[in-house]
Amino acid sequence: MKKIDLHTHTVSTVCDSAFDFDISKVKEYVEKLKIDALAITNHNVFDMNQYNLIKKSLTIPVFPGIEIDLEGGHLLLITDTDEFEVSNFDEKCKRVSDLIKTKDDSITLAQFKSIFTDLGKYVLIPHHDKSPEIKHATITALNPHITSGEAGSVSKFKRMFKEQNGLTPVLFSDMRFRADLKDFPTRHTFVDLKEISLAGIKSCLADKSKISLTKESGNDFFQATDDGLELSTGLNIILGERSSGKTVTLNKIASSSGNTKYIKQFSLLQNDEATFNRTNDSRLSIIYNNYLNELKSVIEDVVQIDIKQNHLNIESYLDSLKKFATENEKKDLFSKCTLFSEDIFSIDDLENLDKVIESVTTLIENNEYQDIISKYISADNLKKLLLELIEKAIFSKNENEEKIWLNSIIKDIKRELGIKTTNSIIEEIDFYKIALDEIKVRKFVEVVNELKTERQINREELGKFSIVTSTYRISGASELKDIAHDKKAYSPAFSNYHNPYEYLLKLKETGVEEASLYKFFVKIESETLNKDGFKVSGGERSEFNLIHEIKDATKYDILLIDEPESSFDNLFLKKEINTLIKNISELMPVVVVTHNSTVGASIKPNYVAITQKNLENREFVYRVFTGYPSDKELTCLDGNKIKNYDSILNCLEAGIDAYTERKTQTYEILKD
Amino acid sequence: MTLTQNVKLKHMKYLKIENHKGFYRLDTTVENWIELDQINKDHLLSLLKLASTQVFEMDEYNDELLQNPAHNIIYRNIYGKLNDFLNNKTRFQDTVDAMYKTAIEKYKI
Repeated sequence: MKKIDLHTHTVSTVCDSAFDFDISKVKEYVEKLKIDALAITNHNVFDMNQYNLIKKSLTIPVFPGIEIDLEGGHLLLITDTDEFEVSNFDEKCKRVSDLIKTKDDSITLAQFKSIFTDLGKYVLIPHHDKSPEIKHATITALNPHITSGEAGSVSKFKRMFKEQNGLTPVLFSDMRFRADLKDFPTRHTFVDLKEISLAGIKSCLADKSKISLTKESGNDFFQATDDGLELSTGLNIILGERSSGKTVTLNKIASSSGNTKYIKQFSLLQNDEATFNRTNDSRLSIIYNNYLNELKSVIEDVVQIDIKQNHLNIESYLDSLKKFATENEKKDLFSKCTLFSEDIFSIDDLENLDKVIESVTTLIENNEYQDIISKYISADNLKKLLLELIEKAIFSKNENEEKIWLNSIIKDIKRELGIKTTNSIIEEIDFYKIALDEIKVRKFVEVVNELKTERQINREELGKFSIVTSTYRISGASELKDIAHDKKAYSPAFSNYHNPYEYLLKLKETGVEEASLYKFFVKIESETLNKDGFKVSGGERSEFNLIHEIKDATKYDILLIDEPESSFDNLFLKKEINTLIKNISELMPVVVVTHNSTVGASIKPNYVAITQKNLENREFVYRVFTGYPSDKELTCLDGNKIKNYDSILNCLEAGIDAYTERKTQTYEILKD
Repeated sequence: MTLTQNVKLKHMKYLKIENHKGFYRLDTTVENWIELDQINKDHLLSLLKLASTQVFEMDEYNDELLQNPAHNIIYRNIYGKLNDFLNNKTRFQDTVDAMYKTAIEKYKI
């Protein structure tokens, strides 16, 4: 079996976050992880000089490759290592680079095929159960050149492996060889080959039986740390005495595994109700924001209105008009000009027309409901309608342009005449805008009054718990302080709470930022209730946290839990947690560190690891022994072995003597 | 125009010309006409609100009928502006109908 990694990055492109390439990291990686073949696959670029440098510095085969943005997904294209081919490949990759300049660019299938004409000579691996995926249609169109697909994680690899007639799964590191890299990723694929060659790899990728996650243990194990620790893809328990390296091991797994859900020690413990509510509220921030989204948009608009200024404008318009009217008899040479008292043209707002055009375009472009649409309106009529609307839009836009141009002339002339004349000038005023602003305020008040009706806005069931989110009217200025998380004086604002527009203005006066104003109109709170419908107790809060965290873990590739017993009592651990952990380990690898016999002994893990710290030659040596729970002995990577039964009792029950004593004296007496 | 329509329109009239002067009112149910040179900002704002929400009729500006020069200027100006507004009332109404519609529908129980 050969260990291959055909997806690595050595050039920082527009598709990556910036990094400094360090060639020493490539060497270190290949040696430490015992990689047998590597491919360099940068985003839409192939750097031939750098490739040759890397190739020279390593003793294993290094294949030239590229990761191409194709039809919105990512595709690895890898070729052979002979010099002529590499330079040919370089030419082709330059054409890809020319087409892709930003991170949002992508080449089409036709462009791809026109560049790489002889697809048979490459290895093509699309992102399959990994984002951004290559579309199914694209894979079909590239038949028969695609036989394998890249999975995003161990569990996705296994899922793909089980799919009948699906692509052969491969797992690669997709790593950046950055200078500051500490722990290396452990995502690789083993291929059943004696000698590495591109043709050999290609034949393995067409046959699921020739690929594997581990060298000897098949697909039920995976490499968990870069120093070679292999764990089960199901449930693993790590046991060990204090300071023997359990948490260190867990941290190493976390940093090598990529997308990890890590539940740290004591993190679930929550006796403080206020803290629990706060974390709960932040969990529900999506519901909160979704609910207030519309109010937010309304306020963003209303806050631009200045009603007071509008009223002042009416006043000064009227004053100037009356003054102008009374001075009519005394008109001079300048004020006698018609343009002096001429109104400027009002500019038509074409937003509604644009919306109608957009809607008709949607009707024309929609394929899904075309049969229904064409039943009532023919495609021909729709096109004619669109054409007429566009003509109207062009006409109106031209007219607006003309009016804007004329207005600038009228304003210039009026200004000049105004300087020369002794008569008053009639102030400009926009009745349309003023009338619209009045309506906006009225509608805003309507929106807020509807919003203030208290209601339940969301209910989520989580195990035996329910999270109920409701809105409440604000009952005092102190609640506004809670919303704002500051100590401003909110009383003057709150006294106007019944009058939404005045309230909005007062909040602005108080110094609330415009972007936050929408938070001050109703209070949104969530309550966690137990199965009897009562508020949760301290212990229940920790249980709820765990259930929530475990549910959340399904979004990740691996779940790590450090000492769950730190947050729970034994009965709950045995009854509830063990089942939850067992269930999730069917979906993804789970690693639990524990001291607790209830978790350690009764959870029935797939695999056991025991950490040990020994003083050897005046130095501490840390070891991890692994094996099946039923194994008599557990083995370390260096070949050392320990007795399984004794070690487990040592870790969980303080040794055999203590265990026997407790069992025969304490537990049995209690039983009697 | 039928007689009934004429009467109806008369009842929706807010600006009129009579005795060479301009007049306005804020309530069409009473014949409480005020001379146009007396108009203040609150009344003008009320007229604008009425124009945006009600059927709003005005006597067309007529230079010959408005012999009072001050009334002539004020009438011509306010009439011109309100008329311009009323010419765009369909667009205005469309905008008002769509205004904050999703928010009102979302928060209505």
